[in-house]
Amino acid sequence: MQQPDSIRIAPRDPNVVMRLARLGSFHQSRLSFMRVLLRRLKAEKWQFERVVFDIDARGVGRAVYTAHGPHRSYSLIAFANDLPPEKRSDRVIATEWDATFTLFDGIPTPADLDRLSQNVPRQEAGRITETELSLSRANRSVRLWDYVVDCLARGQQPDQGRIDDVGYLMRTTAVYGSGKFGAADRETTADRDEFQAPFQIEMLSVFLTRAFVMDLVEHMAAMRAPETAVPLAPKLRRRFGIGNSTGLGMAPFILNHPALLNNWIAAREEALARIRALPTATAEAAQSFRDFAKRARLHALSWQSEHPIQIAKLDGLRADMEALIAHLTEADLTSETPWNRLWLWAETALSVEGQELVASLLMEPYGDLVDGLSCCMAADEAATWRIDGAMQVSDLRAITRDVYGWALEIDWAERDATARVWYTSEAKLEPRLGERFDEPIEPYEQPLCPGRDAARMFADLADFPDGPVAGFLLKHPEHRHVVRRAQIAARLPYAEIRDNTIDASVLPIDMLRAKLSFFGACHFDPRSDRWLRINMFQHAPFPGELAGGNADDWTYPYLEGRA
Amino acid sequence: MTWSLNEIEGLSRKAARGAGLSWGLAEEVGKATRWLCAAGLPGAEALAGLLRQNDGADYETLCPLDDTGTWAAKGGALCPLISGAAICDHAKDIADGKTLELGQTSFPLLLLPYVAAAAQDNETTLTLEWPGLTVTFGAETCINQTIPGALDHDSAAGVRITSASAGDGTPLAPVTRGDIAPEIAQILTEFAHRTYAPDTAQSRLAGAGAGLSDND
Repeated sequence: MQQPDSIRIAPRDPNVVMRLARLGSFHQSRLSFMRVLLRRLKAEKWQFERVVFDIDARGVGRAVYTAHGPHRSYSLIAFANDLPPEKRSDRVIATEWDATFTLFDGIPTPADLDRLSQNVPRQEAGRITETELSLSRANRSVRLWDYVVDCLARGQQPDQGRIDDVGYLMRTTAVYGSGKFGAADRETTADRDEFQAPFQIEMLSVFLTRAFVMDLVEHMAAMRAPETAVPLAPKLRRRFGIGNSTGLGMAPFILNHPALLNNWIAAREEALARIRALPTATAEAAQSFRDFAKRARLHALSWQSEHPIQIAKLDGLRADMEALIAHLTEADLTSETPWNRLWLWAETALSVEGQELVASLLMEPYGDLVDGLSCCMAADEAATWRIDGAMQVSDLRAITRDVYGWALEIDWAERDATARVWYTSEAKLEPRLGERFDEPIEPYEQPLCPGRDAARMFADLADFPDGPVAGFLLKHPEHRHVVRRAQIAARLPYAEIRDNTIDASVLPIDMLRAKLSFFGACHFDPRSDRWLRINMFQHAPFPGELAGGNADDWTYPYLEGRA
Repeated sequence: MTWSLNEIEGLSRKAARGAGLSWGLAEEVGKATRWLCAAGLPGAEALAGLLRQNDGADYETLCPLDDTGTWAAKGGALCPLISGAAICDHAKDIADGKTLELGQTSFPLLLLPYVAAAAQDNETTLTLEWPGLTVTFGAETCINQTIPGALDHDSAAGVRITSASAGDGTPLAPVTRGDIAPEIAQILTEFAHRTYAPDTAQSRLAGAGAGLSDND
C-alpha cells in the first residue's frame, strides 16, 4: 500500500526549548536513562544474585549484589550503618549516612570489601580506586522506615496510603561517578556497550540499591521478631522507589557539559519531530496514546508537593490532563498527520508542563522510532571543545547575536539581572548560590552565567578590528570561556540554556529538573528554590522480576483491570 | 595513592584559576595537565612549579606581547599556559607552514599538550623543539632528548614549533592513572583553595537552600 508522503517537521527552535521555565517542566520519557538501562538488562538477560548479606540486628553490616551481563559483572557493595537521628542530613556537608554504596567493576574479593569498608562509609573523606565505578549514600525516610519495620515485624502489611505519601524507604543524597574520589574515569568504561548511554553506571547503582533497601527493611523486621515477621507483599513492594535529594551541584553540571546537554535535548526533539511528521497512525497507536494519556492523568494526580511553585504547576498539569483527555474523545488520531495536529493543539491549549508531558507521551507508542536515539545521547566533548582561533571576529559577533540575542537585550546594569553568584564553599566544597550585593562572594564566582558573559564579550567585540579570533583572545583572556561556549552552541543548537542563570528570579530547581527528567525521575518535589526530591524506579520490576516482567512500561499507573 | 585523570583535571583547573588565570585558560590547563599525566609525564610537578613561580604576576607580563614575529613576554619569560592556548588558536597558520618562534619560556613541558592538540585538530604533524629536546606530534607522539633532563627544565631559552613530516624518538607510554607526590598535590590544592568562598553562617543556611526539613 502506498504511504502518503510524510511532511517535514523541523526540531523545535532552541530559543523556545532552552528557556529555564520549559527545561524545568520536562518529564521522563522512553529516552530516560533508567528506562534505557532496564530495556538493556532485560534484552540481554542479565542475571542478578545477592552474594553477601551480613547485617546485624542494629542494621550494621555489609551486602553485595552482583549483576551478570553478557560480558562483564558488576557488584553493588552496600555498607549499612546505625545512624543517630541528629546526624541525618541530606546536605553535602553531612558526614555520616544510614547506608553507603559503591558499584564495583567485577566481583569483589574479601580483601576488596575490607578495603572499601574503611573508605566507602566516609564518602568524600575516603578514597576509592579504579575498580570502583561510583560512590553514593542514602538516608532512611524517617516518616516510613520505622513504620514499615514495625508493621512487618508484627506480621502485618503497611498501609498503602502511607507508602504512597512518601514513595521510598531511603533516599540517596549523592551518586558520584566518573573519577570522583579516585573512582575509575568514565573514559575507562565508555567503550563498553552497557555504558554507551549516559549515566548507566549511576542508574545501575540506584537500581541495585533499591533491591538492597527492600531486603534490608524485611531483614530488620525479621531480626526484631523472627516468629511473626513477614516480607512485603509483592504488589506493595513495587510501590517503593528510591528517593533522591538533589541540590545545586547538578546545576553546574548541565552548564559545564554543553555538548552533552545538546545531545540529550536533540535526541528528544528529534523524537518529537519524527512522530509529528508521521502522515498517519494505526488504530493501535491511537489507542495506545489514549491509554497513556489516562495513565499519565493518574500519575499527575498522585504527584505531591508542598512547594507553592510546584503546587501551582501541578494544578495546571492536572487541568491540562483533563483537557487532553476531553480533546482525545473527539480527536482523529489516525489520519492527516494526527500527531502534528495534536501537538499544535497542545501548544495553544496546555501549560508548559502539559505540553512537555504530551511530548513525552507521544513517544510511548513509538519505541521503534524513538529508542534507537538513546545511542546518540552520549557526547564526544573533546570534538567540539577546542576553540577555533581562525574564526573571524565578525563571525564570532554574528554567532553571539544568534545564540545570545536574548542576553544582549538584558540591561545588565540592573541589579536584579546579576543578583546571584554561583560559588563553591570551602565547607566540603558545597556548591552554593549567594546574593552578589549582600555577601562578599563575588571574587569566588564560578563561570555559570553565560548570558552576562556573552554580553560582556559582545561589548568588547564591538570595537575590535576584524581578523582571527586568536588576536581577540590574546588581548581578552577573560572572554575565553564564553568564546568556547559560543562556538559550541553555534554548532550544537541545544548546548546553551537561553536564560539568565544569575537573575534575582532564577529558580535553580529548573536546571535540576531538566537533568533529572533525563535520568527518568518522577514526582519532582521542590523543597526550596534550590533543592528538590524525586523518586526513582518506583513501580519498576526488581532485578529478579525483569526476565518475566515488563522492563519498560512501569512509570505510569496501570488502568483498572489491566497490568 | 593514585589519582583519576578526572581528579587531576579538576584540581589543575581550579589551581590555575586560583593562581589568577581566566576561567577559559584554566579550563585548558585542566585538560593539558591531564594529558601530561596520562602520557606518564610530570605535568602536575611542572604546573605546581610554574604557578609558584608566577604567583602574583599579571597576565600582561606573562603573555606574548604580539602574535607576530618571535613571541616574547614583557616580564622576561612566557607563561606556557597562555602561550599554549595561543598556539592552539594559531594552529591553522602553523599547519599551513608558518614556523612559530617563542623567546624564553617557563616550564616548556607544559606546552606539549597544546601542540599535540594543534596537530590533532589540523590532522598534521608538528614538532616542538627547545635546546636538548625535540618532540614530534604525528600518528604518535615521540620524544627525542639529546640533553638529559631537558624535558623537565624549568625554563627554555627559546622554543620553536613547526610543521614536519615525521620524527623519531621514544613514543609516549600512556597510563590511565596519575601518580602525584603528596607535596605537589598540596601545592596545587592550596592554589585551588583560593577559588572556594569561606564558609559563613549565612551562606551555610541560605546558600544551598534551607527550605523544608531534610530529615523526614
